[in-house]
Amino acid sequence: MNFLRSLTWLLLPASVLRASASLDEALDRVDERLTVSSWGGRVRTRLSGTLDLEAYQVEQPPPGLLQTGAHQLLIPRLTLFLDSQIGPKLYAFAQFRADRGFDPSDTPAEVRADEYAVRYTPWEDGRVSFQAGKFGTVVGSWRQRHLSWQNPFITAPMAYEQILGIYDGEAPSSFRDIVYVEPGSRYEYNPLIWGPSYTSGFQVAGVWGAFEYAAELKNAALSSRPEAWDFTDTGFAHPTISARLAYRPSPMWCFGVSGSEGSYMRPEAVPTFPDATGIGDYRQYLLGQEASFAWHHFEFWAEVFEGRFEIPRYGNADTVSGYLEGRYKVTPQLYVAMRWNQQWFGEIRNDSGRMRSWGYELRGLDTAVGFRPTAHTQIKLQWSVHQTTWRQLENAHTLAAQFTLRF
Amino acid sequence: MRWTGGPGCVGGAWRCAWLLAVGLWLGGWGLSDARGDSVLEGLVPLPKSHTLPVMNQRYEIVARGGVLAPRPPVAILYLEGAFTNPPPPVVQRVLQKEYMFLPGLLPVQVGTRVEFPNLDPTYHNVFSYSSPKRFDLGRYRPEDRPVPYQVFEKPGLVTLRCDIHEHMRGLILVVETPYFALSDTEGRFHLPGLPPGRHTLKAWLDSRTTLQVPVTVIAGTTNRVVFQ
Repeated sequence: MNFLRSLTWLLLPASVLRASASLDEALDRVDERLTVSSWGGRVRTRLSGTLDLEAYQVEQPPPGLLQTGAHQLLIPRLTLFLDSQIGPKLYAFAQFRADRGFDPSDTPAEVRADEYAVRYTPWEDGRVSFQAGKFGTVVGSWRQRHLSWQNPFITAPMAYEQILGIYDGEAPSSFRDIVYVEPGSRYEYNPLIWGPSYTSGFQVAGVWGAFEYAAELKNAALSSRPEAWDFTDTGFAHPTISARLAYRPSPMWCFGVSGSEGSYMRPEAVPTFPDATGIGDYRQYLLGQEASFAWHHFEFWAEVFEGRFEIPRYGNADTVSGYLEGRYKVTPQLYVAMRWNQQWFGEIRNDSGRMRSWGYELRGLDTAVGFRPTAHTQIKLQWSVHQTTWRQLENAHTLAAQFTLRF
Repeated sequence: MRWTGGPGCVGGAWRCAWLLAVGLWLGGWGLSDARGDSVLEGLVPLPKSHTLPVMNQRYEIVARGGVLAPRPPVAILYLEGAFTNPPPPVVQRVLQKEYMFLPGLLPVQVGTRVEFPNLDPTYHNVFSYSSPKRFDLGRYRPEDRPVPYQVFEKPGLVTLRCDIHEHMRGLILVVETPYFALSDTEGRFHLPGLPPGRHTLKAWLDSRTTLQVPVTVIAGTTNRVVFQ
């Protein structure tokens, strides 16, 4: 009932806005007012953003990175973007958010600077560029559509949000600690890739004909939590190196491979490590393959990641996670989307010396429908069902709705 | 008497008749309507400020430095009235070039077919949610044929956008007259080939501002109009 009430609150402003034909014009004028230039147009800055209202109806424990003990969750979120072009070679951007935590949760409101970076592009053809700051990872292809306006869904693919038996705060004391995720302490665990992974560091990227390349040196691993993403949190004592190479024979197709390697444990875990080992001895390795296709009103993305975590006392824990995702625009304003996610786990030696799977196989189907009443507003509805061999999460259903106002 | 013309003379007569018909037809244009001789020109005040768009390049490397060309404001001048034998609309084009719509402002007559060729080496997705014309062309490559197009059947303002590049914005003003022109960036305009008579000259400056004055177009003259 609460979810329905939340849904009504989401649909109500959308209906009102739909009736207002001048909304797009008004927001276009706001956009023009929020764009300023100086030095004869050589320096230009644009402030833009989104206002999101999300409602979730979840079973317990909640899926992915949702943090709540309740069955309903209502999340307002204000995101501001700053884009600056300083001459033809310098570009800077920043993203600020006010919400209830980086991932949907019932924690108190907070304000964060999620991204800020400066990019220098010496040549006009983009053959190479250098970027420094705090920004999303180059690994994979989901980064390009992870924001609420571009994402066909409300949630992320499984690889970017499904928590594993991995936790970065201390070494596991038993096999059960790895294979059984405590519902009350789910935030202690890590996914394979934590969302767009806005870690801090440096990037070199460019375009050479049909090839795109990018490499980055960041301060934290792909699975690291948002609290570890700032320079000031973890420093550069144990950097992560990631790279991506993509081949785009035409705008229609793109094929890419990515790789990443870095330490994933946090400094507070060191006292729990076996003797004579340190953070640098426990690393996360990831190899990714991606393909995407777009043609007229249809878009398709697929990614597969092979990940390995070096777990103190338990050795290498391997996992494979992938998804297939498609979106089709039925009308200029209406689209439908579907995503199939799957994750498998390898085996590690348990406390009695036997090889056992360190996770429960997961399958998940996400379906969504999106409608844009105006060029600046969007409504999404998502239904997901996730299955696992673990009885507590068998056929977990999630309903979600999101209203976005873009300005 | 020697018949010197022969069949050739008969052929020449046909040729003469054909030339006469063509001449009369062409003359008819001039006799029935003095367009081509009548001109309205003058000055219209333009909005002072104009924005310099900024491209969002957060998650992709954009060639050409991502610097977008400035787009100073211009006005659309169009003549409204009851016209006999108006010329049919001609096909127009709005290019997607260097991550912008070119031209950024296009006046067209009702019933005009507008083509949207993509000249960038990447995808664009042109769409409009404006009530006179709601459409979404989807994603298409520069080499795809036929070039996607739309026919604009209702008068009004249509805002063009790109679903991939949020800074891209263009306007098509669909008018119920074949007599229109764009001003230059100083506000000067020149509207030739007008039919004589009493009409209304309108100057569209932006979505909120359209100026108008009554005008009398006299055949073979150039009238000057200055909007205040």
